[in-house]
Amino acid sequence: MNLLKLLFCLSVVSFGCKGSDENPKKDDPKPVEEVKYDESHSLFKSYKGLVMAGYQGWFTAEGDGAGRGWHHYQKSGKFEPGFASIDFWPDVTEYTKTYNTAFKYANGEPAKVYSPYDEESVDLHFKWMKEHGIDGVYMQRFVSEVKGESGKRHFNKVLANALKASKKYGRAISIMYDLSGSTSADMDFIVRDWEALQQQFKLFDGQENPTYLRHNGRPLLAIWGVGFNDGRKYNIADIQKLLDKVKGPTKKASILLGVPYYWRELGRDTENSPLLHTVVKQADIVMPWAVGRYNPSTYLSVAGPNLPADIAWCKANKIDYAPLVFPGFSWGNLKNDKSLYNQIPRNKGEFLWQQIAGAKMSGAEALYVAMFDEVDEGTAIFKTRKEGDTPLNADGKFVGIEADLPSDYYLWLVGQGAEWFHGKGGYSGAKPSRK
Amino acid sequence: MVWFKILNIDIMKRLTIHISALLLLFGAGACSVDNYPAPDSGLYGTFLDAETNEPVEQDIIRGSTIEFIEHGYASQTKQTMIIKNDGTYRNNLIFANTYTITPVRGNFVPVTPQEVTVKGETQLDFKVQPYIRVKEASIEKVGTKIVAKFKLQQTVMNNVRKIGLYAHPEPSVGEPMRVALAEHEINGAIDPNKVYQLEIDLPSNSNVLKTGGQYFFRAGGIIDAPESKFNYAKAVRIAL
Repeated sequence: MNLLKLLFCLSVVSFGCKGSDENPKKDDPKPVEEVKYDESHSLFKSYKGLVMAGYQGWFTAEGDGAGRGWHHYQKSGKFEPGFASIDFWPDVTEYTKTYNTAFKYANGEPAKVYSPYDEESVDLHFKWMKEHGIDGVYMQRFVSEVKGESGKRHFNKVLANALKASKKYGRAISIMYDLSGSTSADMDFIVRDWEALQQQFKLFDGQENPTYLRHNGRPLLAIWGVGFNDGRKYNIADIQKLLDKVKGPTKKASILLGVPYYWRELGRDTENSPLLHTVVKQADIVMPWAVGRYNPSTYLSVAGPNLPADIAWCKANKIDYAPLVFPGFSWGNLKNDKSLYNQIPRNKGEFLWQQIAGAKMSGAEALYVAMFDEVDEGTAIFKTRKEGDTPLNADGKFVGIEADLPSDYYLWLVGQGAEWFHGKGGYSGAKPSRK
Repeated sequence: MVWFKILNIDIMKRLTIHISALLLLFGAGACSVDNYPAPDSGLYGTFLDAETNEPVEQDIIRGSTIEFIEHGYASQTKQTMIIKNDGTYRNNLIFANTYTITPVRGNFVPVTPQEVTVKGETQLDFKVQPYIRVKEASIEKVGTKIVAKFKLQQTVMNNVRKIGLYAHPEPSVGEPMRVALAEHEINGAIDPNKVYQLEIDLPSNSNVLKTGGQYFFRAGGIIDAPESKFNYAKAVRIAL
């Protein structure tokens, strides 16, 4: 009897143990409710299917009111023949507000530039986007510039111009922080700046800003410069903390991360740290920086296997992917090296179309075009002067787009790519011909 | 004679002693150097098309390769496995451990390394995107010819370099393993609606494709990407 009792007791004890293990803990914190946005007024609910360009907007002209001189046009404090950091000269024929410079054409006419500080110039840019069917732009916000008062004033003015124009012409717009030159200590600044922008411009108000780009049900914020191994003064862990703050437990925003080209292999231009993949998985979209990573003759062997491999990785990890395309590259004046004029030649758009078609054929669903207005590195797609029709530049020169192309050719070609990404048929690896 | 015999026995005895001592030494040495158990685990799996879930045909020689690095050693030595023509692989002599495994130099879009813990019989399939899908393939004997017909679908932007039909007495027939072939250079994008046709003429190959013999035929194409390999439809056995 005693033995039976003992067994009975033991079994009760053992049942008791099992039971207590299965009981859920009662003091579990209540899950945070994710923020929900009313997107009924939003015109762009996803980056998918869109072709958007980067918009530098960092140029200023003397007399434009920005008080920043010839910012990003000048070199060594001067903007005169022999001193320029731009390779392509903007074609300002259609601008209502322009500025005379110390440069002259061969016929003695003064060469003029524009300033994005002026509302009418940014308006014209968005008008071109609409005319050619380019979906919109990512407004670059350079942390190293907006940390200062004059930089902040300038970029806020350009942003105000752009938000207004994007609404007028129905073009998508999003903000992209460029972290080049930032330090670990700047992450808190970015959080504050981003909060301030939301307040000042009512960015997340769908009625106020119906064109602000949404993705995965939230406004999209782009952060560029994560995982590069070029000796930056911030690291991937800093970005991880930044993401935690920007998204927050309520997931306030969706995130696009601008990463180096070899982000997936963690090699070459990329820091060899698996943390990068952890951070990428916390984002919504990844956009690898491809400028200068290939040229017309190496594109197929470099991007051919790389693009679909990137896309497969993103699919497996349930994030979206936007490859970058660029028309060519030229920075002879910026680098004071004549051999760098047309370093990656445009070949009348063949190179750009090769990438648009390559991205499409590899299964990409959105495109990032570098850039709308970047004339320092010669990747601009907007209207610029043609070869043989550029201002004189002492013993240097300005590179022009090919003389037999109309000055809006690259806008048109990107617009053709946008049509293809929107689902229109009839496009292939062969560059479309303009009627 | 007697003297010689004695001497001989003596040498034999001494030799025996020496050999015994040597054996003992080797035995002891073996014990002190390697006292580990033999590899007791197996790793196997299949290369599957991520879209169709069908096995991705391979080449057993000069084909896609699996590289693996066993964790816990500073040397990070890469070991390799080959893949069979049907897209399966198996290594029955592998130590239970964690490995970093990467399929490389393949007929599919590059994949990232992955970690796998091998213990006992461990299955690890690879979902890949083949560069080319060979579709609606048929290989038949028509009169005195072997005729292959198929469509192609390329999954990447790179050009298709060439297509080929290969013959060999073994089922592991392919571009690297053939006694007769018919190839056609493409060097361009393929038309997904086009039916490609390749023929091997039997009379002119009668020295290697003998009447009455059984041969295997396999057709495929290769993409123009770095270190890429052929993609195929399944091999077909035909009695001539």
